[in-house]
Amino acid sequence: MTSTSLPDSLIATLPGSSYTDPAIFAQEQERIFETMWFCVARASELAKPGAFRTVDVGRESILVTRARDNSIRAYFNVCRHRGAKLCTEESGEVKRAFQCPYHAWTYDLNGKLVAAPNLTKMPDVGRTEYGLVSVAVREWLGYVWVCLAENPPSFEEDVIGEVVSRLGDVESIERYDIDNLSVGRRITYDVKSNWKLIIENFMECYHCATIHPELTEVLPEFADGYAAQYYVGHGAEFGEEVQGFTVDGSEGLDRIPGVADDQDRRYYAITVKPQVFINLVPDHVILHRMYPVAVDRTIVECDWLYLPHVVESGKDVSRSVELFHRVNQQDFDACERTQPGMSSRMYAKGGVLVPSEHHIGAFHDWVNERLGLSQG
Amino acid sequence: MIPACRLADLPRGEAHRLDIDPPVSVFHTDDGELFAIDDTCTHQDASLADGWLEGCEVECPLHASKFDLRTGAVDAPPAKLPVRTHEVVVEDGMVYVQLSTAAPNLPPCISARLAGGPA
Repeated sequence: MTSTSLPDSLIATLPGSSYTDPAIFAQEQERIFETMWFCVARASELAKPGAFRTVDVGRESILVTRARDNSIRAYFNVCRHRGAKLCTEESGEVKRAFQCPYHAWTYDLNGKLVAAPNLTKMPDVGRTEYGLVSVAVREWLGYVWVCLAENPPSFEEDVIGEVVSRLGDVESIERYDIDNLSVGRRITYDVKSNWKLIIENFMECYHCATIHPELTEVLPEFADGYAAQYYVGHGAEFGEEVQGFTVDGSEGLDRIPGVADDQDRRYYAITVKPQVFINLVPDHVILHRMYPVAVDRTIVECDWLYLPHVVESGKDVSRSVELFHRVNQQDFDACERTQPGMSSRMYAKGGVLVPSEHHIGAFHDWVNERLGLSQG
Repeated sequence: MIPACRLADLPRGEAHRLDIDPPVSVFHTDDGELFAIDDTCTHQDASLADGWLEGCEVECPLHASKFDLRTGAVDAPPAKLPVRTHEVVVEDGMVYVQLSTAAPNLPPCISARLAGGPA
């Protein structure tokens, strides 16, 4: 058991404790989720001023809302007075202000403290100074991204850069016009596994032929085990007999007009660390957001996005949705099956990655680097 | 009469609070009318000038009590007692308030303070 040398074909994974130790998860919350750009919501969920959503980002509850000027704002969901959770619902709409249910400190949609009992007797209390504390917000692809860091990293490098490094350029994703697509379906999965198992699963396709029969029918090259993410700019081609990206290979929905000819009949997959997966096919886009809630539990929210008229006209998207919904269930079942093994004595030092999974090693190096751990 | 502010400095939809004891606020409605009422909600100490003006009604920012600016009457609870109304006069672009001589209906803590009790 003391041997550290592996055959050339194999490289080591992270140790089992990386997936089971609450202390490591706490470090990941602090150094990954609370410092990087984190995708929290579809902007269209915040349809008008006062609409809000609360989301946990790392160890913090964040309140995301739309102000009167239609800009999206995000705040720590914590009252400045005595720290009560300001907004307790997951989503909803306020008319004009957020009011703490404890002492009625009241904040407008711009976060300013507008009223509180006896506030006029405390003219030295600054209404902005004691307003809600905001966090950085960006809108991209029609999604709201927040960053809790005091000095957020470059969104262009960290988020857009991940897409560019996968697709080769930003135009390749812009052609799908994701900002203007509509949510045709949203499914939320409660996965009893560590978030890294889900990322690792998404990054490789060594499992595809075994657990994804429908997907491998549509994308025959997946039987080789090389994920679309293995090569820069590569999209997996649909099988010759396949008409569309659907559960039975039947025709899909209307093709997104901007999609280039060389992108047609292809599937692209992108991981935007630490919690977003994007899949591009000619007639829709599938976007996953992970919300890691515990070392062994992750909520995954998955949107299927189509051209607005497809959704508005009530066209049947069920065969289209069913393909990746099955893929999701197959993947998350596999992750849940793997999670218990992470605490096995046998897995204390981790497992191994085969060549078609070696790029996951770069993900592990990245995690270690974020946590300030030496590679070992 | 007490000078409040220049009319030009009080746009429609806004309120101006006079820091007198008890405080009074002048409201300029979206329809261009001017009203003055006691600024303090009769339910709990909150400034109605910080509240929300809709038509001839102001909603307290704390607990959503509503008062009719024309009469001072309570339009929506939890407040029970009306606020006083005061006469507004505009002369040469200046807004003046003629204070009511009626006794104000103030929330408990302010009444106590005005009576010399703990604030």
